[in-house]
Amino acid sequence: MAEQREGKAYRARAREIIDRHPEIRASVTGGVMDLDRKRVDRYAEIDSETWRDWARDVKDHVITHLDELLEEAAANLEARGVQVHWAETAADARRVLDGIVRRRGVKVAVKSKSMLSEELEVNRDLEAAGVQVFETDLGEWIVQLQEEPPSHLIVPAIHRDLDAIRRLFHARLGTPLDAGPDELASQARATLRQAFLEADLGISGCNFLVAETGTVALIENEGNIRLCTSAPPVHVALTGIEKLLPRWQDLSGFLQLTSRAATGQSLGTFVSLLNGPKGPGEPDGPEEMHVVLVDNGRSRVLADPRAWETLRCVRCAACLNACPVYRQTGGHAWGHVYSGPIGSILDPALLGLERAGDLAYASSLCGACTEACPVRIPIPDLLLDWRARMAGGRRTTATERTLIGAYSRIMTRPRLYRLAGALMRRLPGLLSSRRLPMIGSWVERRAALRPSPRTFRRIWKEELSGEDAAGDAGDHHRGSGGQPGEEEERER
Amino acid sequence: MSRDEGARDRILERIRAASREREPLPHPGTLPERMAAGDPAERFSEIFEQNGGETVRFETLESAWGWLEGFAEDFASMAPGEDVPERLLASLPVAAPHEAELGISMARGGAAETGTLLLDSREGRRGQILPPAHLVWVRRRDIHATLDRLLESVKGELPSALALHSGPSLSADIGQVTVRGVHGPARVIVAILP
Repeated sequence: MAEQREGKAYRARAREIIDRHPEIRASVTGGVMDLDRKRVDRYAEIDSETWRDWARDVKDHVITHLDELLEEAAANLEARGVQVHWAETAADARRVLDGIVRRRGVKVAVKSKSMLSEELEVNRDLEAAGVQVFETDLGEWIVQLQEEPPSHLIVPAIHRDLDAIRRLFHARLGTPLDAGPDELASQARATLRQAFLEADLGISGCNFLVAETGTVALIENEGNIRLCTSAPPVHVALTGIEKLLPRWQDLSGFLQLTSRAATGQSLGTFVSLLNGPKGPGEPDGPEEMHVVLVDNGRSRVLADPRAWETLRCVRCAACLNACPVYRQTGGHAWGHVYSGPIGSILDPALLGLERAGDLAYASSLCGACTEACPVRIPIPDLLLDWRARMAGGRRTTATERTLIGAYSRIMTRPRLYRLAGALMRRLPGLLSSRRLPMIGSWVERRAALRPSPRTFRRIWKEELSGEDAAGDAGDHHRGSGGQPGEEEERER
Repeated sequence: MSRDEGARDRILERIRAASREREPLPHPGTLPERMAAGDPAERFSEIFEQNGGETVRFETLESAWGWLEGFAEDFASMAPGEDVPERLLASLPVAAPHEAELGISMARGGAAETGTLLLDSREGRRGQILPPAHLVWVRRRDIHATLDRLLESVKGELPSALALHSGPSLSADIGQVTVRGVHGPARVIVAILP
């Protein structure tokens, strides 16, 4: 039974959001459609097909040389005085942070937005150790104040409209209820500026780690990453082991392509290229810089015969912005850190089918995601692969297995097929009941399926098989009385 | 540290085991270069302004000095970068970066195609990002056509940090309305020297 509940977790969360919080759908849809349009415009300015092929190939090179490149990166980081840590699990990564916190007596930490830090759940442990943690990306700070997880990889508060943020700031910071975005932002700046200046520790993620030079590259628009990595005396960059680029020369292409894909800019407003702690003779910068190389399931994904391709992901969220399913609910329906199309293939790989396999069904397989992806991850193929594993592992419900089994028997036996067709024509109510398993949720929000009074075979015999049929078969179709939805045409 | 050592070996071993059956794929080389038409400095100004920044260009050093005097009148204090020549500093009282009204930097270079400045940590990181306004000097000859070339020009000697700035600080996190100056400077002025 637990299996069944688990299998429907996405659906239940999505339904709750759609039914109870219509404002979320409106806010998310507006936000992602704007981002998607900008992405399309920015792709059109470059030879995006060539760029995306190139980016995919660089990442495939990285994935098939990961051990060498990690060793090269670690050696180059250490040569510049960066302390490199290797974390097999989330707990290991948190232990590294805890060690730094204790040794340095950290009281205040400023963080820039990092999905990896969400995955590792570092805030809870830091707070338990008595550290005051400030998320400093404005959107991430909003969800921190709201005490909820981010809803989008790039725009964490995309599900909150201006009104919701006004109310939140009013309650937590005392701004007036009719404050405009500028006033709210300047209150955020004032509060967080104080945190930056007091912080003993800055924590960031890492967009790219260049093996050749040992450079941590970070893209942003607000300037909070520059501050997190410049102002506090210690900087820790949490880095997934797949984040490598081989050469310094690869940076320019990836920085630009990622910016175009993520926010529809030719380049993010600020890019930090960090090579080490404050150098001799430099007036400021962190005394210590740490890079934590985190596995936490990635080497298992690497071993997977299909899912390894998800390791190309640069976390730009272009697939979320292009997805008609994500648009309906935002990311919370996924229930895990990574949402949208990439979440639907990455979460099962990182967490297992038991916990996240149902996400493979959070898709209409329309393919918009893979068209948007800057590194050409074949998301629909991988979704189908996870679905096949769910079915093969008997993780789908008994009803679904029975129905699909029956469907498959009927569709492959002409006599059974004709019999089923005749039955449906005599009892049209069969296809319009909301109580039907599988079909019910279709019927609930759409006009009922109505079977055609004549079979396609009969229409073909009587009207279409003649010599004149080739030229205007379409008209005959329209005249045949068949409904768009009817399945008769599939007869082989 | 020994825990770390063991972790490194185990992670690398798992990666090797996972990749054993997989064919190593070659690096695809370099993206074909996109040749931007026209004068890089002009193109830079155009794009940087599209990004929300301000630009001003000078034919002579003297005209830059004259402009600076008037420009500085709007500010009460400055946080100068260590690499900015004396003559390119406003005659303003110096303040700590978190208190100054204006940061002044000397860029290592620029990239026309994205409207991007390259800043060096050796002049100080805080003055580049804390003050609400940022004046950046750049020499015309240091503005490259592409970001590839700009980054290539500094590859040999990397300071502890480089930063690419392509305009004022932006955020659209509040109700998807764009606001400026959330954390970094709301105003960035690039002054292009002859």
